[in-house]
Amino acid sequence: MSTSKLRKAVSLWFILFYALVGVPLWYKLTAIYRAPLPVKYIEAVHENLHSDVHVTVPVYVRSDTYTFPDVHDAVQVQVNELLRSKQGPVTWSLQVLPFDNTTVDPELDHVVTLVLDDDIGFTILYDSKETIVFFNDETVASNDVPFFVAQTLVEHTFELEWRKFSSSTGANDQNSMAIEYSPNVHLSLSLLTGDGRPVAWDIEPVLQQYFTPLREFLAPLVNFTVDTDIVQVNDLKLASLRGATSPSWHDLSHAIDLSELSTTNYYKERSVLHLAIVFPSAAAGELDFINATTIHPWQSFLVPQWGVLMLNRKPLDDNTRITESYLKPVIYSFSRELLQLLGLTSGNEDLSTPYVTMESFQRMTILKNLEKSIDTLWSLVKLTQQFPQMAVPREVLDDVTAALDLRLKIVHLLNDPCKGGRSTWNEALHLSNELLALCEKAFFHKEMVQQNFFPQEHKIAVYLPLLGPLTVIMLTGFINAFRKKGLDLDKKER
Amino acid sequence: MQLILAIFWVFLAAYKSQAEEIQSSLLTVETSNSSDIDGAVVDAHVNKNNLIGSLQYFQGNEKILYPFNEELTIRPLPRNFLLTSFLFQLESNEVTKPELDSEFNSYKHYTVFPKALSPILDRTQTRQLHLRFTHGLWDAEEWGQLPRQGYTSGGNGVEMWAVIEAPDQKAAFQQWISLANSLSGLFCSSLNFIGSEKTTYPVFSFLPESQIEPFFDVSNGLFLIRAALANEPICTENLTPFLKLLPTKGKSGISSLLDGHKVFDSQWHSMSIDIESKCDEFSCKYEMNEQIEMVFHLPNTLSRADRPIPKPLASDELRCDESKPHDDYQCFPLPESRNLKFDLSKLFGKSISGTNLVSETPSRICAVVAPNWNVLIRVGDTFFSTSDNCFDISDNNFQDMVFETDDTSQIIPLEPAPFFASRSLTGYSQDAGGMRTVIKNPTNDTINIFYFESLPWFLRLYLSSLKLESDSGLLLRDVIQDTFYSPAVDRQRPSHLEFNLSIPANTSIALSFEFDKVLLKYAEYPPDANHGFEIESAVLSVMSPMKYTVRTATSLLPLSTPDFSMPYNVIILTSTVMGLVFGTIFNLMVKKLVPLEELEKQQRTNLLTALKLRIAGLLQRRPRPSKSTQSTKELQ
Repeated sequence: MSTSKLRKAVSLWFILFYALVGVPLWYKLTAIYRAPLPVKYIEAVHENLHSDVHVTVPVYVRSDTYTFPDVHDAVQVQVNELLRSKQGPVTWSLQVLPFDNTTVDPELDHVVTLVLDDDIGFTILYDSKETIVFFNDETVASNDVPFFVAQTLVEHTFELEWRKFSSSTGANDQNSMAIEYSPNVHLSLSLLTGDGRPVAWDIEPVLQQYFTPLREFLAPLVNFTVDTDIVQVNDLKLASLRGATSPSWHDLSHAIDLSELSTTNYYKERSVLHLAIVFPSAAAGELDFINATTIHPWQSFLVPQWGVLMLNRKPLDDNTRITESYLKPVIYSFSRELLQLLGLTSGNEDLSTPYVTMESFQRMTILKNLEKSIDTLWSLVKLTQQFPQMAVPREVLDDVTAALDLRLKIVHLLNDPCKGGRSTWNEALHLSNELLALCEKAFFHKEMVQQNFFPQEHKIAVYLPLLGPLTVIMLTGFINAFRKKGLDLDKKER
Repeated sequence: MQLILAIFWVFLAAYKSQAEEIQSSLLTVETSNSSDIDGAVVDAHVNKNNLIGSLQYFQGNEKILYPFNEELTIRPLPRNFLLTSFLFQLESNEVTKPELDSEFNSYKHYTVFPKALSPILDRTQTRQLHLRFTHGLWDAEEWGQLPRQGYTSGGNGVEMWAVIEAPDQKAAFQQWISLANSLSGLFCSSLNFIGSEKTTYPVFSFLPESQIEPFFDVSNGLFLIRAALANEPICTENLTPFLKLLPTKGKSGISSLLDGHKVFDSQWHSMSIDIESKCDEFSCKYEMNEQIEMVFHLPNTLSRADRPIPKPLASDELRCDESKPHDDYQCFPLPESRNLKFDLSKLFGKSISGTNLVSETPSRICAVVAPNWNVLIRVGDTFFSTSDNCFDISDNNFQDMVFETDDTSQIIPLEPAPFFASRSLTGYSQDAGGMRTVIKNPTNDTINIFYFESLPWFLRLYLSSLKLESDSGLLLRDVIQDTFYSPAVDRQRPSHLEFNLSIPANTSIALSFEFDKVLLKYAEYPPDANHGFEIESAVLSVMSPMKYTVRTATSLLPLSTPDFSMPYNVIILTSTVMGLVFGTIFNLMVKKLVPLEELEKQQRTNLLTALKLRIAGLLQRRPRPSKSTQSTKELQ
């Protein structure tokens, strides 16, 4: 081989080695690690939300007077028909089964009891999950009992699900009053006086007697921690409304300063709800706009997602002790509004069927958690796609994989028609809270945001002083080597 | 459970009916009750009747008092200085163990103790917390001992130590960091910058006065942890949280005097919080002392009150030495006047808004003054005085205090400081230096001092270079009774040095040691790297014959700072060298090498060839009829 050819071969090899091995190796070695997230799967689940979920609630039918051997099958047909008539984004169904004394616990399971009566009607018991359907002989004769039972179950007993899951808006409609669901909520009860006057309240016995049962009842859904305090010299700036006779809620929300009571940061719980019982200062005098009566010397205001304000018309005297007689209705009112703030009730209504409502709320919360967790994962995917230089650590992938596995586990729990008791919903809710926490942990991984500050341009800027000269030297050497051939040919031609 | 719930709902229904709002739903519920609930319904009705029969919402028979005390002590110091000390003492209700919080019948109650602090202390299992925000110079030689034997005064900046209950040191450190981060938000300070590289575990100093037993778990240990942020600025946003922790919120009582503009316009100020938990087997009680202390220079502060915008005095207001020539343009100033009369409201810019009403004892103000001082309290237009110059503020009106004297140099004798300490950096090298601490014992007794030093990891301390200088020929072994030394680990922990020193009467000693300065990594330099690095104060505590703690001034250590464009320069230089090397090798391999003689020959040949070509070109360029001319001619 002549030296000219050898030189050409060398320059060609250099160029090829540089382009095919050097540059890819440099790119690989300086690239940020991005764990391969299951993007397609998350996208598919996000696009077909709840497509793999089919909530099945078992209901047991019993009849005390007559024996209807196939009533559960007939009711099942009617229930299916009714649910099919109004299909929503979430598939749910009732599994109507015959009542069996040995396996069914009327206190824990949904039971429909058929009772012969003069008139037709129904009632849902407040202290259990039992629905009583009253029928008469005419309805039996006309074979209307199954339809009537199905209608009672779907439209009344499971009204919440019927409204949410089968409506066009689905489970997404937000109650603007309610806080975001959280399994642990802190309740902060405060007594505020505008003066620095010494006051006291008999709050402990009232809470023990009237609030403890509510805490116990709501425990499967929400765990409360509760504290109370007396805040002196703070009337939430109510004094500025002293002259107003009928201020609008707008004026009130502008005047009241809740900043000192919004103590969310101090607690380990993520959600905090407040009850503030406010007495104006003696200097501010009576607040004429408070619509108070002798029985109710206060007026209650619901502050969305914050809590309840109970404003009193008159200031307190020195050394006043607020008695249980005052506090009992206050705690009652607060309990009712608390259910609204938690999203259990939507308006100023009572929880007439607490057990049934709470279980429905549990199921709705599970689905909401599933939805939120997939939204979070989808946001994570979008984020990683929008920032191609952002690191995706291995822990994020592990968390995402664990979250998706957990989601499938929850879906299996929800879909299994053999399950569906209280323990199932409790477990599913617990797992869904875990799922949500796992998704948020994956999304808020600190390394992802930190590495985002090193874009591709930065890398090129740092390496350009090396890559630039090397590229120029090799290219010019390569071109020269091959141009010489051209020149030699020209010479020969001449 | 269901029975309890039934009682609850039915009770609620009863109260609802009281307001004439019972809804049909609950009535339906009542009628559908099973027989075992009927008893509860009856009970509820009985109770309801009782309620309506005796509707007494408020009772006012007994006096309500909470465990809260506040006291202000005012003490003139030499050379027209004035020390004011605010003390607030609070006590919490009983606090149960945190794991009981989620029990259904567990409720926590707060009255005067700040609710903001208690959850933080519970969560981090903090049994004692001590916070210090101090700034300024305490002139110990003139002003004597620090207030409260120096226990409540920190070094310049922010200092914090705590006793934390935890199963092991690692867990204790995690809780400590959580505590620092929470307090950082609460007190608007940079406590969140406390990390392992600033944290020490004191051995001789800062020990709790009494024995503490584990409360949260008997198997737990107790860890004393400390950190300081040297020369951290203290400002109004730090005072506001201090006031918000008080039940009076700075709106009544002596705390109504406190205003950030005045507190931080003083020569020396210190704000401190000490919380201790007193526990039995089942519950704890927090005791909290909050102190705010400051030293004013009276003529300066009062003139600032008269003239908030500084401008020259009129000539007739100047105090000139009349034995020397003086006119409108020339004045030899006299020493500061010793004749002084001032109001407390002028000093603080605010009056006292009455007493605090929640306290077990009324707000108290004491003036510790010599007999030639007149101290009066003014309520409206009426003046009051007492024999001991202590006043209990009993009513809710605005009050003020008036101070008057013809000689400010006469003061109640000050307690002299039992020892003096000062620390300085030595050496001027970029890579090494030293530290020298001078301790003087002016008393007639030998004193035992615990010396605590926490130095940042970038000072590589040589304990072997420790030297002692003393006029009386003392040796190290005569003075140092005990030593604890934990060497620094780069970026992980500071050098922690503690000595137990015994200093003979009327002796001065100087302890000195040397260190190397470590070069920091590029990203470890702060934005103002050329300012220098603050070294926190050394802490010296004497335990016998009296208790006294003093801190030296903080030090400013200059470290060699790099040119911050250096990495890019290095990259460019290295790349250039690599480019040169590569280019040379590449050219050697690719370019043809020709001997010089051959090149010259080739060049000559080339020159001849070029000449021939040029001539040939010139010949070719001779004028020849072009095709167009030819065709034109042909046409013609």
